[in-house]
Amino acid sequence: MRPIDRRIWLLLPATLLLTVAFLGPVGWLLARAFTFPQPGFQNFELLWQRPVYLRVMGNTLLISAIVTPIVVLLGFPVAHMMAHGSARLRRWLVFLVLVPFWTSLLVRSFATAILLQRHGVINSFLIGFGFIDEPLPLLYNLTGLLAGCVQVLLPFVIFPLYSAMARIDPALMKAAATLGAPPLRAFVRVYLPLTLPGVMTGATLVFISTLGYYIIPALLGGARQQMVAQLIQDQIATFGNWGVAGALSLVLLLATGVLLALLQLTVGLKEIAR
Amino acid sequence: MSPIASNDGMRPWRLLRAALCVFVAVCLLSPLVVVLIISFSSAPFLQFPPPGLSLRWYMLLFSTPAWMNSLLVSVELLVPSSILATIMGTAAAYALVRGRVPGAPFIMACLMLPIVVPGMITAAALFGVYRGLGLNGTLTGLIIGHTVLNLPYVVATVASALRVQDARLELAAATLGAPPWATFRRITLPLVLPAVLSSLLIAMILSFDELIVSLFVSSARVRPVAVQMWSNLMGDFDPTIAAIASVCFLFAFLVLLADLALRAGRSLRLT
Amino acid sequence: MTRSTTRRTLLAGAAAAAASPFAARAQGGPDLKGTTVVFASWGGAYQDAEKVSYCEPFEKATGAKVVQDGPMNPAKFRAMIASGTPDWDVADVTGGFLEVGIKDGLFEKIDTKLITTSRIDPRFVSEYGVGCIVWSSNLGFSTTAFPNGAPKTWADLFDLKKFPGKRTLQDSPTASLEVALLADGVAADKLYPLDVDRAFKKLDVIKEHTVFWSTNSQSQQLFVDREVTAGVILNGRVYDAAQKGAKIALSWEQNIQQVDYLVVPRGSRNRDAAMRLIDTMTLAENQAKLANLIAYSPTNNEAFKSIDPKLEPWLCTAPENTKRGLVLDQAYWRDNLKKLTERWTAWKLA
Repeated sequence: MRPIDRRIWLLLPATLLLTVAFLGPVGWLLARAFTFPQPGFQNFELLWQRPVYLRVMGNTLLISAIVTPIVVLLGFPVAHMMAHGSARLRRWLVFLVLVPFWTSLLVRSFATAILLQRHGVINSFLIGFGFIDEPLPLLYNLTGLLAGCVQVLLPFVIFPLYSAMARIDPALMKAAATLGAPPLRAFVRVYLPLTLPGVMTGATLVFISTLGYYIIPALLGGARQQMVAQLIQDQIATFGNWGVAGALSLVLLLATGVLLALLQLTVGLKEIAR
Repeated sequence: MSPIASNDGMRPWRLLRAALCVFVAVCLLSPLVVVLIISFSSAPFLQFPPPGLSLRWYMLLFSTPAWMNSLLVSVELLVPSSILATIMGTAAAYALVRGRVPGAPFIMACLMLPIVVPGMITAAALFGVYRGLGLNGTLTGLIIGHTVLNLPYVVATVASALRVQDARLELAAATLGAPPWATFRRITLPLVLPAVLSSLLIAMILSFDELIVSLFVSSARVRPVAVQMWSNLMGDFDPTIAAIASVCFLFAFLVLLADLALRAGRSLRLT
Repeated sequence: MTRSTTRRTLLAGAAAAAASPFAARAQGGPDLKGTTVVFASWGGAYQDAEKVSYCEPFEKATGAKVVQDGPMNPAKFRAMIASGTPDWDVADVTGGFLEVGIKDGLFEKIDTKLITTSRIDPRFVSEYGVGCIVWSSNLGFSTTAFPNGAPKTWADLFDLKKFPGKRTLQDSPTASLEVALLADGVAADKLYPLDVDRAFKKLDVIKEHTVFWSTNSQSQQLFVDREVTAGVILNGRVYDAAQKGAKIALSWEQNIQQVDYLVVPRGSRNRDAAMRLIDTMTLAENQAKLANLIAYSPTNNEAFKSIDPKLEPWLCTAPENTKRGLVLDQAYWRDNLKKLTERWTAWKLA
């Protein structure tokens, strides 16, 4: 058999499209960072000097760092139930997680906004049951933004976690119990480490997705929660400043790339391709 | 049965787990329920609970040319882009998994990039490059953008289906003298067909929901539903958006059922 | 009546009659079939009213189709012109942006052969745009939040003790800085040039308690949701929300008046059709129709005759309301908009 077969031609359409309609344009945008309005590093100097840019980049990192653990902690029990519950329960849970996953982000975000309104469902509920006297400010601030992100990102962590948990051999836990380990200790010492690849994968996916969010901060966040994607949009649409937009994109891509590289080093990227 | 569930000392933990699951379920489903209810509201604003029920927003939706045009544009956009992505992606996945292609893992990783790169960057890049080509505000421009965005999902889904499948079947057919195309058509394709169809469905849904690239590349004359919804949300804030969202939700729900049926056909695989 | 005047009237009448077939042609029969004109405005109730009052009569008269787009966004407008082929054919812009746009060459010149500008009050006719409405920024407030007396002045907007609750401001320095200075005690006639530092310092007082709206519909929604109790909102939007059952009212104290213009973006593919759509707007009956829907004042003085008298207290041009109001200085904003927008954005994030 020949070393390279003719099937390689089947790759041509996809790679051609990817190059012309994705890699090329993205490369062009990133190049703007060094060429617009004139060649040099002035755009990066600007990022460094203007407090607004630094603040927004810091904000974005901070928000991703807060969202990630919340999503993992909430996703964990669901994945656990999915992996170790009955087949019937699993089907229901899969359905439960998939349905919103397939509904547009935009729809879910504005629906969340309605829930979080000052006199919305959640506040009415809390007041009705006497937990609070005054409605809580839940919308157009950090709370609103977090609620939106967590809600949308849960499936990203549930599925990798589930796949890690489903692979854990129940005999291992039995063995730990037989050897006299109390259940909690067996869970922490034996079970938890085995779920770590799933946790890492899910957490990374959540973190990098949050870094690039635009719709959720625009609809649910306040003036203080501006994120990098909004800033890029502003730079292009409002100021026509392709240079700064390119520089911001480059920073955002680098952050994403570094996180993925870390994941590759620790877990291996194959985990992600589901 | 869970290895933990069998132990009575874990009862509080099991309760906590159940409580958190219920909490997550409520978090995930309540927005959808709210949208469904509000779409039948009689109030002129997005108000919950609605003061009364009516069908006026559905009527407005179906009688407003802007909404109907955008639905048409969305269909004109999602059909070609999902089909193109499915064909290109399936071909690429086949070549990468079955062919001996130098640097296959690298090419695979590159094909995954459109999901990894934040949408805003892709959108800004396409918008910038399209300016010089006159593609902004055209259906062609939108189709190209959506096809690229859909490609990774198809490649990943089909590649994973091909990996599970036994390559020796194809080898046997080839050894018995079947030409490559016949092998593909008679052996490979039937086996991966559920995955291919499933990725076609995913691509359709994604294309329908995609907002950010569409926002940059579309125009008032060529405007898909997602952008019309965004513009409605920015400018109008009336329950029409809930009505269209409910219609979309119904559509997605049907597609999801179809997909689950397809997946059931090749034994439920989630990962 | 003397003979000569009768004759003059007759002559004028004859001239008008003679001119009318020509005028009708300039107005156009249904000769624009197949043309699509994109009309961009501010969305929501206002754009709905414009659609009914300007676009539909235009469609009926010419056979053209009008596609609605929006919300209007000065930045988007600019980006469109930069791209060479604007997507919009007619846009509704504020007076401040009209001045900026003229300076930066963003508009087509108004074609007086296609638009009868004489129908409009000369104060609202520019070489590059035709005024369509006069509106005002007012102090809006929830009618249920303050049982012991409603806020009246801009100073009340900044008094969080006496009038508790969240505030809302437009996400733009225009009018917001004026509001802050008026609240801080600057006299209306000493406002310009704005003392920007002082304005931002005053705005700091309510910043933590403020939700910013970027579209007018959001400003209405914020009051409907009771997300805010008081804030800056346009008079027509208060009228519209109140009509739809929202518990909202407004104060006319130191209302800040502005004019909106219809313009044709430079390079529009349908320049002539766009001009004729603007011409349709200048007709008194169409302007009156709009005013009856959303309480923005007409620029064609003839139109006042056909406005429902019940609307009088809602119009910013009512003598009572004009007396208490002031007019935004478009020239100041032409020269400072860009700089102040940047400062505004930075201030919001800080």
